[in-house]
Amino acid sequence: MTSAPVPGTNDKRELLRHTVATLAYRGGKAISNAPAGFKDFRVTDDARTPGQILAHIGDLLDWALSIAAGKQTWHNSTPLPWEEESARFFAALAAFDSYLASDQPLGSPVEKLFQGPIADALTHVGQITILRRIAGGPIRGENYYRAEIESGRVGADQSSRRTEFD
Amino acid sequence: MTTEDKRALLGHFLAALAYRTQKALRDAPADFGSFRMEDGVRTPAELVRHMTSVLGYARTHFIGGHYWPETLSTFDEEIVRFHEMLGTLAQHLRNGDVLLDGMTEERLLQGPFSDAMTHAGQLALLRRLAGAPVPPENFIVAEIRPDRLGRDQADPVSPDKVWPEAPKN
Repeated sequence: MTSAPVPGTNDKRELLRHTVATLAYRGGKAISNAPAGFKDFRVTDDARTPGQILAHIGDLLDWALSIAAGKQTWHNSTPLPWEEESARFFAALAAFDSYLASDQPLGSPVEKLFQGPIADALTHVGQITILRRIAGGPIRGENYYRAEIESGRVGADQSSRRTEFD
Repeated sequence: MTTEDKRALLGHFLAALAYRTQKALRDAPADFGSFRMEDGVRTPAELVRHMTSVLGYARTHFIGGHYWPETLSTFDEEIVRFHEMLGTLAQHLRNGDVLLDGMTEERLLQGPFSDAMTHAGQLALLRRLAGAPVPPENFIVAEIRPDRLGRDQADPVSPDKVWPEAPKN
């Protein structure tokens, strides 16, 4: 599933990296300082827990990397303890971002990588956020367009200069 | 990076947002718009209005001024207005209109556009909590096109064959 380079691909690839950095920033905020027991918080019997959602996000990012590398694979993982799953989230982001930053060819158009795993992951970050509220540990609102989000900054160490509000 | 390339990808972002929002809303129960999980959690109608609001905020960076959408009388009207806002914003991108006040394509993406995408995920979660979950699909092959921003979105190309979390009838 390797595609030949097309004009503009590297430019779009760079904006995809910015989306990955956005995911790191927003996801990091959603999962940090979570209430005790949040991993297993269950709103209804058949709804995913935050731990299951975060593990799914990790699976999506692993999938994204496999697609980018032209060897698409999917794996359903078992949720890890919250801190370990959080570390896996950032590690998977870093691995995918590192591939995007390299000269290696993309096994799929940027648009497909975006509309699939990356957009999916953003929607799931929104779900963790709403579950935080229901669980009694909401995160603060923020004007994200002012946030210091930079391509390549995809680890847990995100900027603390934030425009937040309650 | 050329502005044209960036804007093309932002246009695709809006199309993905249209697709995913409609997936979360299509065939929803009649009273889904007013489903309130608990105090302090937005109803679907409030979420869609908020999504319109953040996209309207993005639009102010093309046309100036402020945007604060009034509450409409029905959920259906909220959905129609949301899609109209998507179309208007996409047109500004296609036109190559100048961004005001130091706004950039990257900040549009990390701010209002991503905000709206996270809320689309919340709509899908509320469908589940309202007892009418949305079936999963492989979004990477979904028919998502920058010129298709209205309510009429394509059916899934590759719905999941196995749905372990399907509602138990």
